[in-house]
Amino acid sequence: MRDILGHSLNFQYELLLPEIIIAITATLVVGADAFRNELRLGRRILPWLSVIGLVAALVVSLLWIDTQRNFARLITIDNYTTFFRVLFTATAIVVIVGSHEYVERHIGHIGEFYALILLSTVGAIYMAAARDLLTAYVAIEVLSFSLYVAVSLARNDPRSGEAALKYTLLGGVASAMLLYGLSLLYGVAGSTQYTEISGALAAGTGGMTLPLILGLVLIVAGLGFKASAVPFHMYTPDAYEGAPLPITAYISATSKAAVLALFLRWFSGPLLPALPDWQWMVALIAVLTMGLGNLVALQQRNIKRLLAYSSIGQVGYMLMAITTVSVVSASALLLHIGGYLVTNLAVFMAVIAFYNRTGTEEISGFRGLAQTNPYLALVITAGMFSLGGMPLLAGFLTKFILFTAAADGGFLWLATFAVIMSTVSLYYYLQVIKQMYLYQPDGDARRWRLSPTGYLTTAVLLAGTVVLGVYATPLYTLADRATRVLFV
Amino acid sequence: MGMEQVWLLPAIPAGIFVVIALFSRILPRGGDWLAILGLITVTVLGVLVLIDFQGSFTGGHFDAHGNNVFAFDWIRVADDFFAIEFSTFVDAIAVTMIVVVSIVALMVMVYSVGYMHGEARYGWYFALLSFFTAAMLTLVVSGNMILLYLAWEGVGLASYLLIGFYWERRTAAEAAKKAFITTRIGDVGLLIGIILLWRATGSFDIQTIIEAARAGAIGETYLTVSMILLFAGAAGKSAQFPLHVWLPDAMEGPTPVSALIHAATMVVAGVYLVARFSPVYAEVLIARDVVLYIGLLTALMAATMGLVESDIKRVLAYSTVSQLGFMFVALGVGSVTAAMFHLFTHAFFKSLLFLGSGSVIHATEQQTVEQLGGLRRKLPLTATTFTIGSLALAGVPIFAGFFSKDEILLETLKGAPLAAYVALAFTAALTALYTTRLVVLTFFGEPRNRHAHEHAHEAPTSMAGPLVLLAALATVAGFVALDGVGKALGFAGGFGELVFLEEGHHFKLDPAVAFGATAASLVAIALGWAYWSGAAERAARARRWAPELHALLVNRYYLDNLYQAAIDRVVLGLARVVAWFDKRIINETGVDGGAQTIGYFGLRLKFLQTGRIPNYALAMAVGLAAIALLAFGTQ
Amino acid sequence: MIPMENFLLLSAVLFAIGFYGVLARRSAILILISVELMLAGVAINFVTFATYLDSQAFSGAIFALFVITVAAAEVGLALGIVLRIFRERQTANVDEVDTLKW
Repeated sequence: MRDILGHSLNFQYELLLPEIIIAITATLVVGADAFRNELRLGRRILPWLSVIGLVAALVVSLLWIDTQRNFARLITIDNYTTFFRVLFTATAIVVIVGSHEYVERHIGHIGEFYALILLSTVGAIYMAAARDLLTAYVAIEVLSFSLYVAVSLARNDPRSGEAALKYTLLGGVASAMLLYGLSLLYGVAGSTQYTEISGALAAGTGGMTLPLILGLVLIVAGLGFKASAVPFHMYTPDAYEGAPLPITAYISATSKAAVLALFLRWFSGPLLPALPDWQWMVALIAVLTMGLGNLVALQQRNIKRLLAYSSIGQVGYMLMAITTVSVVSASALLLHIGGYLVTNLAVFMAVIAFYNRTGTEEISGFRGLAQTNPYLALVITAGMFSLGGMPLLAGFLTKFILFTAAADGGFLWLATFAVIMSTVSLYYYLQVIKQMYLYQPDGDARRWRLSPTGYLTTAVLLAGTVVLGVYATPLYTLADRATRVLFV
Repeated sequence: MGMEQVWLLPAIPAGIFVVIALFSRILPRGGDWLAILGLITVTVLGVLVLIDFQGSFTGGHFDAHGNNVFAFDWIRVADDFFAIEFSTFVDAIAVTMIVVVSIVALMVMVYSVGYMHGEARYGWYFALLSFFTAAMLTLVVSGNMILLYLAWEGVGLASYLLIGFYWERRTAAEAAKKAFITTRIGDVGLLIGIILLWRATGSFDIQTIIEAARAGAIGETYLTVSMILLFAGAAGKSAQFPLHVWLPDAMEGPTPVSALIHAATMVVAGVYLVARFSPVYAEVLIARDVVLYIGLLTALMAATMGLVESDIKRVLAYSTVSQLGFMFVALGVGSVTAAMFHLFTHAFFKSLLFLGSGSVIHATEQQTVEQLGGLRRKLPLTATTFTIGSLALAGVPIFAGFFSKDEILLETLKGAPLAAYVALAFTAALTALYTTRLVVLTFFGEPRNRHAHEHAHEAPTSMAGPLVLLAALATVAGFVALDGVGKALGFAGGFGELVFLEEGHHFKLDPAVAFGATAASLVAIALGWAYWSGAAERAARARRWAPELHALLVNRYYLDNLYQAAIDRVVLGLARVVAWFDKRIINETGVDGGAQTIGYFGLRLKFLQTGRIPNYALAMAVGLAAIALLAFGTQ
Repeated sequence: MIPMENFLLLSAVLFAIGFYGVLARRSAILILISVELMLAGVAINFVTFATYLDSQAFSGAIFALFVITVAAAEVGLALGIVLRIFRERQTANVDEVDTLKW
């Protein structure tokens, strides 16, 4: 089949099999939930079904390692896509396995909860895989809309609705900004295809400089919102705090990583010829993001808000890699995203397990955790230290390579600032650790244990944090293979 | 299993460490069998590595021969943008060390089953021993400086934890701290040396560094400084003057630990390091002379201190320091053969002596020689094996120490001023003297503490077995110097044709040196026997004979006092100034001020978050407008 | 033929009015309508460019269709959330929905 311009189109639907599996699973989950009483299904069937679908999708996506094909010039299946397919499905699996107890207690619509996680995973994957602005836009909205609803799913918690309202309305504004930018970009380049945009921009924009720059500003702002970059981040802490904990974990992991994946795909591909026009913009929001995220985190009392600001700071580091976009910094970024996902999920899964037991989100509630549950305290400590960049943990090595790449790319001042902010961040991570180790438990000082799935997820993530900190080369090799397809 | 898979040797005990550390509570017998099983495997694999090494050994330099290097990238970013490689490298020196470490570690572990029976933290003890073995084997097979340094610190950590194993005892905790800090002083030198060499050659790979240094790619002064700094690290680890003070105190650890770490393996790491870099030391003779004279001074000093010490384990500790000095003397005159040979034999007879002293302590719960005596009837096996070890240490012919010490004396006569040779020969005689004193006071004469003597009982089988095996090795290990024995074991010839710097040589006894040394030893033994055997009161006469000298020796040349005074006056005085500066300027003004400033900004910025959607949208609009204005302003 | 700039100006004005509405309005429903105005501006932009610059492939026009569809979905979704807020707090004034802050 050919399109109107004579390009041959390739409609091999099997290339989309992983996402088709996930989408069908989502449908099944909703159906099973709706007819649960009639079919006499147990509650546990929904997470199991979701995990089975995700595992199948993960395995299937491994079929296209080292292939370089596209679906109808809309979606690319290459190593970059495969990297994020695996990363996002794995993240969804971890979140679902680690949170089913929480979901049973605090979520109103269980079927929708799992279905939305599955659907947003599809959106996240296509954000990394798109090769056309239209596909990318639809993918962004699939992810965003799923999350708008998911944020509002907490039962009996008015904060949940408020968070969803803020997220939805402001997200709509950001989408409009992004779209306006994309329309200008389309006007300048005359196409929505990545390859043709890159060609058109490289050939020179003629008298269209003004629309191009305005378009870039709007695109950076719109994507900046999705990535929680300052000053477009304002919704983030509120959305994190109001959302159910597993959704907070999921947003901080998949949503952030997906936006960064899209950022990298765009700014190393179609927008690369316009590098001088956007480089300083990204550097600017990177600095603001690192600075504000880490500074305001110092003043937080709620663990979810603390982690929200911490994730804003982390996004700042990642934006630094976009600024210095190069082969080295691209691989460094993917490595850092991988390490950050593992570490951040370790912290969140531990916090979920903690919340299941105590029902508190206050940082002061962690007092004496080292006595009542030393294992959990250890997981949180390792995760926090890793986020703060302590050696022998994932965060140190990935950050070290990321910062070195930035310094090497000519942004030594940016890397220096990142190091300073990284040091500041240790302070608020240590605040949590201090609560756990230096204080006596308030009230109930009995020892308690996690559920088996709680042990499973935290142990796997803890091991990942340590292993990546000691020997990250395998992941780096994968990241490197994934980014070889960029910059062409 | 060949030399390329040599990484398995450290990997096995490392894995076992993890398993025992995590699960010692649920494993039967705390997992000691697992540790021993692991070491048996390591010993067998070590022999396989040795066989593979024999097959490809062609002589010449410590040549990589290409086929024995196992390397993997620990981290490699964008090819050469940023890379650290870990590699293993096997040569004659490494093979010798593998044999020593695996055999002694195995013996010590088996012995520990009896010695540590019923102790609290039994499983943790075996976990630590496994950890130590893993770190030590990593150190031995490491092909690059980063891995070597990591392992170097790893054995230091294991040593620290094991010296302080009875941390409830204040002296043990203090000794552990002292050992760690003292060796760390040397380690700083090592680290600076590594960085200097890396700066000059751009590589952490040991063979690359050696080749670059030999090719003259590094300036002579620069290289001299680097090699002296490396030796500083070696001196710390191998307890050489002036950093030797930690080793006698390290005897606070369990006795099998002293045998393994503080006699046979970790303390020879310094010797091993200098031996590995001996091709470079041959280029910078000033640095080599530093090694020689520090070694000589240490050997002599430690031997004299051993003469008056009354704690059985501390006598052995001084003896170890002294013997390590012998090895450095050999390296200082450029004979890797003699140094490694002495390292090899010393490991067996010294660990035997330590295990024997452990058996005495186990039996009597006494460790000062004034409380012992006459134990040969109560502990016949211990007495016999201990005496064999002592004969080897004293350098009596046919025992292992005789061959290696003779080799060192011969090389010193050839390669150093005559005065150095005389001093070393005198030290050898002193060795025989203090050894005799130790044996006589412990096992002969009349019991001085009736109570301890009556309760003494011979060691259980698990302790006796290693004693007998090590006694056998202490007797015959020296024979590997002989060509016939070497050939029978499948090598090209004796030890001298396996481990050498420029070219191998046959083992040959120089009649004058051998006879002189033997005669001196025998005379010293006879003197010692005459002096210390008999009534307890006679032994006390040593003190009256030359009280000032005795006081000097007993007080360890007042070095510990000197260090303490230096720490008290200079360091603490300086520390007070620094502390004031740190507290007022750095901390209260800088850090607290900085933290308060940062916290203040955080607090102000926090209130931008009003919770209202229009404000959030306004922030977005302002951000958008600002970036747009900047963009068009710069156009 | 009407110059392209006229349409671009129209879309820019619509976008700006919408953005102003988001900043100025206090009712969640009106903010939502303002967002729709912004999206309408975007859609006009796409159609304009598709007509004047890319008459062959008209992918801009398709983009506009998607924008309209997605905007409709967004309205449905956001109204549901506003309804929930209204049920919980008897107000749709965004200034009163500020329990999450700092």
